[in-house]
Amino acid sequence: MEANPRMGYGSIIKIPFGPQHPALKEPEHFTFEVEGNIIVDVKPRLGYNHRGIEKAMEVRTYIQNIYLAERICGICSDAHTTCYCQAIEELLGVEAPPRAKYIRVIIAELERIHSHSLWVGIAAHEIGFDTLFMHVWRDRETIMDILEFISGNRVHYAMNTIGGVRRDISSDMIPKIKKGLDFLEERIKDYIKIIETDPTIRKRTVNVGVLKPKDAIELCAVGPTLRASGIKNDVRKDDPYAAYDEIPFNVITNDGCDVFARIIVRCEEMLESVNMIRYALDNLPSGRLRVRVPLAVPAGEVVSRVEAPRGELIHYARSNGTSRPERYKIRSPTLGNIPALCKMLLGQHVADIPIVLAGIDPCFACMDRIAIVDTKTRKRRVMNFEELRRFSQRWRKTH
Amino acid sequence: MELVKWALKKSPWLIHFNTGGCNGCDIELVAALTPRFDVERFGILLEGSPRHADILAVTGPVTQQVKKRLLRIYEQMPEPKYVIAVGSCACSGAPFKDCYNVHSGIDAVIPVDVYVPGCPPKPEAIIDGIAKLLEKIKGRKSDVSRK
Amino acid sequence: MSLENKVIEKMKVSLNGKILEASNPRARRIFVKVKPEAFKDAVKFLVEDLNVKHLSTITGMDLGEKIELIYHFAFQGAISISLKVDVPKESPRIPSIVNLVPGAILYEREVHDVLGVNFEGHPDLSRLILPEDWPEGVYPLRKEYSPEDLRKLLSKNGGKS
Repeated sequence: MEANPRMGYGSIIKIPFGPQHPALKEPEHFTFEVEGNIIVDVKPRLGYNHRGIEKAMEVRTYIQNIYLAERICGICSDAHTTCYCQAIEELLGVEAPPRAKYIRVIIAELERIHSHSLWVGIAAHEIGFDTLFMHVWRDRETIMDILEFISGNRVHYAMNTIGGVRRDISSDMIPKIKKGLDFLEERIKDYIKIIETDPTIRKRTVNVGVLKPKDAIELCAVGPTLRASGIKNDVRKDDPYAAYDEIPFNVITNDGCDVFARIIVRCEEMLESVNMIRYALDNLPSGRLRVRVPLAVPAGEVVSRVEAPRGELIHYARSNGTSRPERYKIRSPTLGNIPALCKMLLGQHVADIPIVLAGIDPCFACMDRIAIVDTKTRKRRVMNFEELRRFSQRWRKTH
Repeated sequence: MELVKWALKKSPWLIHFNTGGCNGCDIELVAALTPRFDVERFGILLEGSPRHADILAVTGPVTQQVKKRLLRIYEQMPEPKYVIAVGSCACSGAPFKDCYNVHSGIDAVIPVDVYVPGCPPKPEAIIDGIAKLLEKIKGRKSDVSRK
Repeated sequence: MSLENKVIEKMKVSLNGKILEASNPRARRIFVKVKPEAFKDAVKFLVEDLNVKHLSTITGMDLGEKIELIYHFAFQGAISISLKVDVPKESPRIPSIVNLVPGAILYEREVHDVLGVNFEGHPDLSRLILPEDWPEGVYPLRKEYSPEDLRKLLSKNGGKS
């Protein structure tokens, strides 16, 4: 397969264009203060895809809000609907039936594999390893096929509803799913071998973007970023939900604390997910898919947490006895990792920005421009991501 | 220069821009570009700079933060230029209609030639939209200035 | 006694009469409301005595005359402890906790953006998620604004809405 550096992720995250027009005020997501080319401070300023969802949820019914929650993020939409439906179920005092809980785990773990494999491709692309990127994204189609086979859709599977799940995974579907999983497992093992032995990958990621365990904890990092600094926290294990308390699995950690460790953690998590899905398919309880729920939710409050592919996802809801929430609060995992991201960039070379940024697996589509301010001259230049990536790859070839 | 001649002489260059969506459409747009779906067989090349691009494929509902950037990208593209709105958000802002920081789709900001609805549209649908746009381009006899 | 109830009892002892409400609605969920003057001590207790380092996020809610702030901590990653405190809407301010919980830095900034709460001592409360040209003093999550009101502001800034 030919590697084509023009294709793929490069087109998602940026549109490169010429010099900044001085009159236009468009804040970049990150402003890096540098001395020479070494980063001394990082200032985040988000908002690119702030849409105003929390406010909109207050004027919609609980059922309508499932569809809004799903569209917070196209890559971890199932994590959001699981977190949402669990929250409302708890307010209603109902539980999804056992079969629904197992199906929720299966879909969540399929999504984890999908998200992590998408990310491995992107990380490969950042490093300039486009052959690996293309291979991973081609193999990822197997997961998309399985998800489409089960749910009817490749993205936004709409499997969750308040009270359970909307579609079944019947026993005649299982052999095809398992065949896809067997294929993926072999491929993931191949990626791990490549990643562990390829000198370019190691050079670009070992000891890059280091996040010490103490900082990871104090800055409240989450997900693979946290676990790659050796901290064994995973909401599926610590605060189990759905059927995670019945399905055996390992929490993957790595003591490397660098970008390399974050890649390994995600790859090994994919292997764990494969095994979890197999176990869940083999032990799928019989019974209903959902319980009936009323439209109005009694007054109360709830905290719902799930382990999304990128880390701890938390929703908070306050109900007021009507069919619309009083307040719905969402904190996506990426926001939880921004302070840690800023810390791990300090002392790094500008050329390492793309891979370190990618290392936390950011869930905004918006990483297209950054600003770099020289602390001595106060000169400010704006670079787009494509320029930065090319600069990184060129610089790293000789350093 | 006759547009028909132009279309046959050179493969259109496409750039892609996300205006604050959930990334669902972006995943499928990129999938359309990977070998399995392979939009390159239509002669589309993915290009980086707006200054060389013919087609702008836009996803997302246009958040206020990104509106000016979208306009600027569009302005930097040379004539003749075409816009595809990919996904329901880009077509009308639909899923986020009550959201305060979001416009009602891309045509609130720039003119759109082809709308590909879906949440997200499958890669086949996106390719179909691109193919329809190419027909539209080839079908024109003369360049129409878009002001 | 369950671990959750032990935690609640310890808090009651440490904060001596400053707890307004405390509940343990199910396993691994604690909700505690404290008087504003006890807020900093409550956070200190959680961080220093209970060694709770993880803050998941901060929720702000407009209750009409008051704004309720809810700090969602996670004890050992497992037990969610939601610490609640009210501030008056007329002058909504509360001490920043970034010196005790560095990871609070963006959560406080976000609540400042959407509700206008002033976190005293925070190093940088500049805009985080609202667009650059969003009008000052308009806090979208306050109840006095409906989504339509806010969208009208959008069309004032150009474009249809």
